[in-house]
Amino acid sequence: MPNGPELAIRAEHVTRDFGPVRALDALSLEIPKGIVFGFLGPNGAGKTTAIRVLLGLIDPSAGHAEVLGLDTRRDGSAIRTRCGALLEHPGLYERLSAYDNLDFYGRAWRIPRGDRQERIRELLTRFGLWERREDPVGRWSRGMKQKLAVARAVLHRPALVFLDEPTSGLDPVATAGLREDLAALAAQEGVTVFLTTHNLNEAERLCAQVGVIRGGKLLAVGSPEQLRARGDSGRVDILTTGITEELVRHLAGLPDVRTATASGDHLAVSLSNGASVAPIVAWLVQHEVGVEEVRKVRATLEDAFLDLMGAETTNGEAAGGTT
Amino acid sequence: MIHDIWTVVWKEWQEFRDQLLSLRRGGLSALILALILGVVAPVQLGAEWVESRLIIGYWPFLAATMVSSLIADSVAGERERHTLETLLASRLSDSAILIGKIIAAVMYGVGFAVANLAIGLIAVNVAHGENGLILFAPQRFMVTIVFTILASLLMAGIGVFISLRASTVKQAQQAFGIAIIVLTMGPLLLFNALSYETRTAFIARLGRVGETRIEAYVVAGLFVLSAIVIAGALARFKRGKLVFD
Ligand SMILES: Nc1ncnc2c1ncn2[C@@H]1O[C@H](COP(=O)(O)OP(=O)(O)OP(=O)(O)O)[C@@H](O)[C@H]1O
Ligand SMILES: [Mg+2]
Repeated sequence: MPNGPELAIRAEHVTRDFGPVRALDALSLEIPKGIVFGFLGPNGAGKTTAIRVLLGLIDPSAGHAEVLGLDTRRDGSAIRTRCGALLEHPGLYERLSAYDNLDFYGRAWRIPRGDRQERIRELLTRFGLWERREDPVGRWSRGMKQKLAVARAVLHRPALVFLDEPTSGLDPVATAGLREDLAALAAQEGVTVFLTTHNLNEAERLCAQVGVIRGGKLLAVGSPEQLRARGDSGRVDILTTGITEELVRHLAGLPDVRTATASGDHLAVSLSNGASVAPIVAWLVQHEVGVEEVRKVRATLEDAFLDLMGAETTNGEAAGGTT
Repeated sequence: MIHDIWTVVWKEWQEFRDQLLSLRRGGLSALILALILGVVAPVQLGAEWVESRLIIGYWPFLAATMVSSLIADSVAGERERHTLETLLASRLSDSAILIGKIIAAVMYGVGFAVANLAIGLIAVNVAHGENGLILFAPQRFMVTIVFTILASLLMAGIGVFISLRASTVKQAQQAFGIAIIVLTMGPLLLFNALSYETRTAFIARLGRVGETRIEAYVVAGLFVLSAIVIAGALARFKRGKLVFD
């Protein structure tokens, strides 16, 4: 299928090695335009490397990727012109004022003077930074810098923004604010947002689609609901009468039981993949524990994520390829 | 392209200003030192200060030293402070970024040397100008300026290589210290290592060639050298070749 205009990103078997380390391993991905896409994965999974490849900052060792219909190897400069980025580091000039930081990048993107001033004012005001615009950024708090870096990434109204852990260092209010801003950006301006995060809760709320990567391999991709549906939380809450600490310890030692904890009469059991709760209930009854209620806990994205991670670990760590 | 280069120059100057005026980083003390030298030396030397041949080397040296510290800050520093990757992820081209950095440093260094020279000229005239204006011979002046620009360009080019190898500004500046010593002392030591006969023959030969010609050779040599070094720096300074950690 040719790369239609509806695709913002299309990667085909992208592999990237750093010496012996395989940071990306045959990564294939298709991301439609105008959505917020969340890239999830543990440390060292290859998220940052993927962004670098997509921006044409480094070339893939094998495979091929297109961003906004442009080849990352050949048209890196055109891609960067149309994209905005907040990379691993905020990348702010700490000796310059917040205003001058944005002014510099505004000039770099050749935004005419009047528009530039207006846009900088709009963004700094939106992030609550306008009053402090003349401060050297070095004197700002980490979260304030992070907000400024996000403002810089969207300054020139790019068609696609890459945000590498945009909410790291932000307080809950700021995180919620940024989430709203990003959602609005995607909905109103048709901007595609590609973000990486370790915050699954945030990904679940914000992203239309998420991809889970580990050891450079894409493990799953889909909407948060789809991923949740795949993941069986494996957790059950059991309301009991007469459970004792000793029985809980015994229970935790049973096959198929990952963890078991009790607080009062509430017993929380986490089962291994696909295991049924029936034998547990039978075991409890057999040990003269009253079972009043058994309730399966609905899977969250976090469960689905941990499930995927767990599956990978049991399938052998060697597959990862990271050090 | 010109617009982009100018954008980079503008940004670098904002940063240099801060670096120079910052007491903590020793910038201001260097400034004061240079100004004192620019006043004390001419006042003490008098007319000799504009006539001496040795002094021709002073401004190029001053400018090149300044450029070395600025380039280290702007290339190695940008990397150390983790701003380089973001800059490379912008729409600016590699060459616009590098040329902008070189021009910013060279203009700053040369500007500083020229200001120093102007202050010296005023000082020498205030102190010793009772018998009319003391001025440089026009040719000497032109040659000094051209030397200053070329030495700065050469130093900037070398600085890019040094800075790309160094992981911190400090490392880059240490390497620069060595480079400056090698560049200034090297030819002298080499010359001294020659036999007495060769040296006298060489000096006699130089005498026959004449001052203007020698200056022209030096200018041509510096020009070619800095062109090669800067072309090399441009080839080296490419996104894909800069590893980020
Ligand atoms: N410049 C580099 N040189 C050598 N190895 C690298 C380089 N960049 C990344 N790697 C390796 O590639 C792998 C993926 O790294 P990457 O930074 O992409 O992970 P990540 O998913 O962004 O992790 P995190 O969540 O910690 O940011 C790691 O094993 C890392 O050590
Ligand atoms: Mg990362």
